[in-house]
Amino acid sequence: MTDRIVGLFLLAISIWYGVTAGDYEASFGDPLGPAAFPVMLSVPAAILSLVMIIRPDEEPAWVTGKPLLLQVAAVSLLLAYAGFLEVLGFPLATFIAVALFGRILRSSWPKSIASAAIMSAFLFLTFDKLLGLPLPLLPEFVS
Amino acid sequence: MDMLSALAQGFAVAITPTNLALALFGCFAGTLIGALPGLGPVNGVAILIPLAFSLGLEPTSALIMLSCIYYGCMYGGRISSIMLNIPGDEPAIMTTLDGYPMARAGKASEALAISAVASFIGATFATIGLTLFAPLLAKAAIYFGPADYFALYVMAFATIGGITSVNPFKTLLAAFIGLMIATVGLDPATGTARYTAGSFHLYDGFDPIVAIVGLFAISEVLVYLERVHQGETKMVPLGRALPRFKDMMSGGWANLRGSVIGFVCGILPGAGASLGAFMSYIAEQRWSAKDGKFGQGDPRGIAAPEAGNNAASGGALIPMLTLGVPGSGTTAVMLALLISLNIQPGPLLFDRQPELVWGLIAALYLANVALLIMNIPMIGLFTRMLSMPQWVLMPFVVMVSFLGVYSISHSTFDLFVMVGFGVIGYILRMLGISLVPVILGLLLGADMENNLRRALSISNGDFQILVSSPIALTLYAITATMLGLAFLLAFRARRRNRAAAG
Repeated sequence: MTDRIVGLFLLAISIWYGVTAGDYEASFGDPLGPAAFPVMLSVPAAILSLVMIIRPDEEPAWVTGKPLLLQVAAVSLLLAYAGFLEVLGFPLATFIAVALFGRILRSSWPKSIASAAIMSAFLFLTFDKLLGLPLPLLPEFVS
Repeated sequence: MDMLSALAQGFAVAITPTNLALALFGCFAGTLIGALPGLGPVNGVAILIPLAFSLGLEPTSALIMLSCIYYGCMYGGRISSIMLNIPGDEPAIMTTLDGYPMARAGKASEALAISAVASFIGATFATIGLTLFAPLLAKAAIYFGPADYFALYVMAFATIGGITSVNPFKTLLAAFIGLMIATVGLDPATGTARYTAGSFHLYDGFDPIVAIVGLFAISEVLVYLERVHQGETKMVPLGRALPRFKDMMSGGWANLRGSVIGFVCGILPGAGASLGAFMSYIAEQRWSAKDGKFGQGDPRGIAAPEAGNNAASGGALIPMLTLGVPGSGTTAVMLALLISLNIQPGPLLFDRQPELVWGLIAALYLANVALLIMNIPMIGLFTRMLSMPQWVLMPFVVMVSFLGVYSISHSTFDLFVMVGFGVIGYILRMLGISLVPVILGLLLGADMENNLRRALSISNGDFQILVSSPIALTLYAITATMLGLAFLLAFRARRRNRAAAG
């Protein structure tokens, strides 16, 4: 069933991809233009998506329950980290992210906080000072 | 003689303090990453690519470091296979078959030593092969025109994952997904913005390195979370600190047989190390398993696949360097690095930048020796790493990935893209869609389109030019044969599964 849904989705993408490509106008002097290659890709991609719909594989073993929750939590955490990295500054954002990540990976609070403190300091010093890659140090509202 | 003097120059490049230090660091870091359960060479190289940028390395030095990481990962992959029965990646699966039983029988250190020797023989064999064959192939490749390159790319996509993949339709679809992603951004020839949805962030397209780190490293974290509740796996005790020399060599001729088979598999574009390890093990089983000890800790069952996968990973460097078409997932990742450093691999690389090619080859010889030393007397150090708790390891991998991507562009947009690719990568993995063709499509898409356009400008838009040269025709013939074989095998496996099920 998953194969069919994903196949349908990819089929829709391929068709949209091919149709959109038609709008890109061919320019002067280039026999092929920007549209031809995408159109050439969209046709086989659509056919292969159809195959996926018609002949699906066995249902993959999707996780349910707690592991799924952990995955959702991890992805949300990563997105939040990406969003807050420049706002909070690297050391603070990393500290919070690693501590929470440790909790997601079933470690205790003290251990997670200890590893978060060490890791954020270590990474900041290594990358910012040693490798010369400038990282935001302080939160935006402080500096 | 030509080759020897070139190699001597290569050693002069490789032996400079910076390059030597980077090579040793690469070997060490590679073995470490390879040894950690669940992290294979693709992940290892992908995570550390950004490091090469932030260190501001010369292209030669960066390539030396990453190739040594690559070789190191292939060595290290066997450690978690043998000690924990958890292969770090696909090629290491075959090593668990005899390695883990042998370790359980109290001979873990012997198993590790046999596989280290096998890795050394396989990798050295492949490096010698690289020295001999790569220049030849590069000379032949000079005659390739745009239409021939287009045919070569078609072949690479059609055969990658090829024979080993479960569902060839999905593998092909994966390549098309990659190619479609590659067309996002400004069209290089006309400057038309394609599929950018009006966002300036996408005008440069998706950076392959950001996509790779997301697809492999971030999706790995999600895969790990599936089994986080199952608890830690128990490690086998190491046994004697230093195995006897006789025990180390008990792989015997299996080492060489595995190397030859693995090397041939490695050269084929798209086949790579998994096939090398698999074929070596099967062949060795046919050749010497008369007493039926295979699967119960036969030393030859460890030596053959280890020699095979290491020889294959060395062999995979040949098409990557000479044609610009990678033979495995990891070499695809290394190609991403070369492209980002503005180096176009291919036949001209050998003429224009001999110091890069030969420096790399020389560094690989040195790396092999260093790895053998690291992997026999110092093995205890690496096995201790296996007991590192995951709640330290996983966040560390994630943070290094974030830092690496952030260091390339200093944009949080790329971080979101990376996480997005991570989720997509996880879903594709669950569906049994291989990620390597996606990467390959993303990497080679622009080049494929350029060659197609160049060919058609030569012929004034006549599509016949694509099939008019003998080289292109030969490549299409090979493609058709390989595809046919892949589909045949897949159908047979499917029928067998059905027969077994009902």
